[in-house]
Formats: sequence, structure tokens, C-alpha cells
Amino acid sequence: MTGDNAWRPRLASRARLKFDPIEKQEMLLFPEAALALNETGAAIVRLCDGARSINEIVDQLSKNYGAADRDALTREVIEFLETIRARGLLQ
Amino acid sequence: MTAAPRPYTLVAELTYRCPLRCVYCSNPIDFHRSRAELSTDEWRRVFSEASELGVMQLHLSGGEPALRDDLVELIQHARAHDLYTNLITGGTLLNDDKLRSYRDAGLDHIQLSIQGATRDSAEMIAGVRSHQKKLDVARLIRQVGFPLTLNVVIHRLNIAEVPELIALTLELGADRLELANTQFYAWAAENRRALMPTREQYDRAEEIAREAIAKYRGTLEIAFVQNDYLSGEPKPCMGGWGRSYMCINPIGEVMPCHAAAVIPGLRFESVRDHALEKIWRDSPAMNAFRGDEWMMEPCRSCARKEIDFGGCRCQAFMLTGNAAEADPICRLSPHHGVVESMRKDVDTVEPLIYRDAKTSRELASP
Repeated sequence: MTGDNAWRPRLASRARLKFDPIEKQEMLLFPEAALALNETGAAIVRLCDGARSINEIVDQLSKNYGAADRDALTREVIEFLETIRARGLLQ
Repeated sequence: MTAAPRPYTLVAELTYRCPLRCVYCSNPIDFHRSRAELSTDEWRRVFSEASELGVMQLHLSGGEPALRDDLVELIQHARAHDLYTNLITGGTLLNDDKLRSYRDAGLDHIQLSIQGATRDSAEMIAGVRSHQKKLDVARLIRQVGFPLTLNVVIHRLNIAEVPELIALTLELGADRLELANTQFYAWAAENRRALMPTREQYDRAEEIAREAIAKYRGTLEIAFVQNDYLSGEPKPCMGGWGRSYMCINPIGEVMPCHAAAVIPGLRFESVRDHALEKIWRDSPAMNAFRGDEWMMEPCRSCARKEIDFGGCRCQAFMLTGNAAEADPICRLSPHHGVVESMRKDVDTVEPLIYRDAKTSRELASP
């Protein structure tokens, strides 16, 4: 799983990000429901363009946020993506 | 008065007009009375106000919303306010040009109704020739590039088709399938004895759906909406009355759900007379069953009152005559026996009552 370069996640066409000005947080909207995302979650979703591998997503996040522990960040990214994949929000 | 909660979802019933005659229709029996539909400007104002209140999800519903000549303008306005915009349609009036114009206006998602897996079963329910056209439109929706949910209202006359409905969804390339067991309000309540599945049918369908949900998890989302008479579980009424959801009918009346007009004594205020924010916060109808002050026993002291909110207020009224009673679906309700007998009260030869303006006038006249 870690370093699986075959997986290039893309957000499902029925889901999109929206900033909620009331709660001041990013929301992932899809039919009948929504998920509130933290800053990292929203950053990951923005990188799910179907072109980037997990490693490349982690690279970009490390660059933007200067993560100290790359393995921990990779685990966090995979765990998050598995959660939204289980809801059918990746294609 | 405590601060009103935040609404997340608005169902905009743009019109009650519809070319279909579905026997389970959720529009009110007396829909023929609602003629003076909100104008384009009035709906635009409503969408702006809803967005300011915190609404995120907008469902454009009906009747058949594609009968509105201003649908493209309404979609554009909704997207200008960044509302996640879903069109709930029967599909029979759609074509390539219309779908492309909705896409260009920013429509996010389409929910298409299908009445069954075969032409015969589907058209017996819809009351008009429509099945092939819907299948053609489903393919067009995918070609134009929309994410698609198929919604099938399930009842005794099509419940055996659940496997075929799942296969059809896969064949059409839809993203989601809602197997929505009939909720017995409005026209479905009129047809209850013909539409109520047997225990054996229901349990079998639920088992098939559960297996399919697990099998297709992550690729095709399948939702199985329960029949509460057979599941025995009270529905959490709209996630709580006036808590996160509102419905506005074609003439602008704001309701906690589309069925709420069956409860006598509730006066719904119109967006023609007041700002949406004021109606949501202050209207007596919206406050009638907020919180738990209104609850009677066994709900008042029940550990589940924040989970199911005492069930459905409309059903409590329809089955007990008092909307503040526990929903009789709950086995703790003193009226639960009514549900036990209605569940077994099925009739295989009862004629179906089709939803149309003529029947609406007949049924609604005193």
C-alpha cells in the first residue's frame, strides 16, 4: 500500500468541495450528504486529480506544509482516502 | 426562544404539474388547488436567502421540475450561490439539448425516477407510457456527463424486481441506486392496501439489497430506504422537525417536510409574505415540534428521543389523531396495534388510484 504508485485517486464527479462561510471549514458535498473536512483533508481532496500517485500527493503536501514525519503523513493520506473511497467518493 | 438551528437542505417543489400519474406520489391529494406557482424572481430570492441561512444542498423537485420554463435560470442562480444542486425528475421531458443547457448552467447531479425493471410493472405504476423513454434519458444523462442516481420507489408490485433493478443500474452506468420503500403518505396512503409488501417479500428484498450494498461498496452506492411498518423502526422525522431541513411548495409555503400539511392546525407561512429567515426561525408551524417540549410519554422519558425524535409527526397524526403522540410504528406506543393490523391489511385485487388533477379534485372535494 505505501508507495503504491498504481493508485492515482480522482474525486468522483458527484462530489465537490465548498467552503462553508458559517462554520469556516471546507465541506465535501455529494448527493444527500456532506463531510466536514479539516485543512489536511481538503488539501488531499484538491490533489486527487487522477494524475498524481499517493507518493506524489504526499510530496506535494510535505512541500506545502513541511511535514516532519513522511511515513506518518503517508499513513494519514491513505487512511483518509480509504474513508472517502468506501463512500464511493473516489473514482 | 432559543436560537433556531441551521438548515442544510432545501427541497424546492417548483411545480405540482407532472406528466406521470404515479400511484405512490408524495404530492398532496389536493395538489390541484396550488395553481399560482412562485415566479422566477421569487424562487431566485428564496435561493439567495437559503444560501445566507446556511443551506448547502438544494433539491429541485416537483411534480416535474422540467415543466418550468425557467429551470436553466434557476439552476444558474443556485450555482451562483454555490448550492449543491440536484434535479429530481421523472425524465420523460428531457432531451440532449435540455441536458446540455442544465450542465452549462452548473447543475451538479440528477436523480431520475424509474418505476420498475420491466415496462409492464413500471407503467402500471406510472400510469402512462414512459419506461423506454426513461431508459433512453438515463443513458443521455450519462453521455452528457452528469452523475446519476436512479430512484425506485419499492412496493408490493415491484419488490420482487430488486435484483433486476440493481442489474439495470449497472447497465445504465448510474452512480447510485436508491431502493426507496414506499412511505405511506398522500397518494401512497390512498393505495396502501395495494402497495404494502408481505413480510416475506420485504425480508427477501432487504437481504438482497444488503448483499449488494456490501458487494458494490466503493463502486456503486446503493441505499435501501426502509418500510417502517415492516422494519419496526420509527423514522427519525426529517432528522428532527425544523432542525436541518425545509421544503417549500410550489406556492411558496415553507414546511418542515412535504407531508406536513396533513397535520391540521399548522399554518404554513409563505415566502411571498415574509423573509425565509423569519419563517424558519419564528413560524409557529416550524416551531410546533422543535426540541422535545411537545413530547408525550413514552417518548418524553425515552433514551432514544434524540435518535428517532419520536418518529414521524405526520404518521402519528394519521394513525392516532394526535401529532404529538409517539409514532405508532414504535412498539412502545399504546397505539402500536394499529400498525400491526395495517401491516397485514393487504389486498391483491384493489384497483390503483392514479395521481392526476381529475382524481385530485374528486378526492379533495368534501
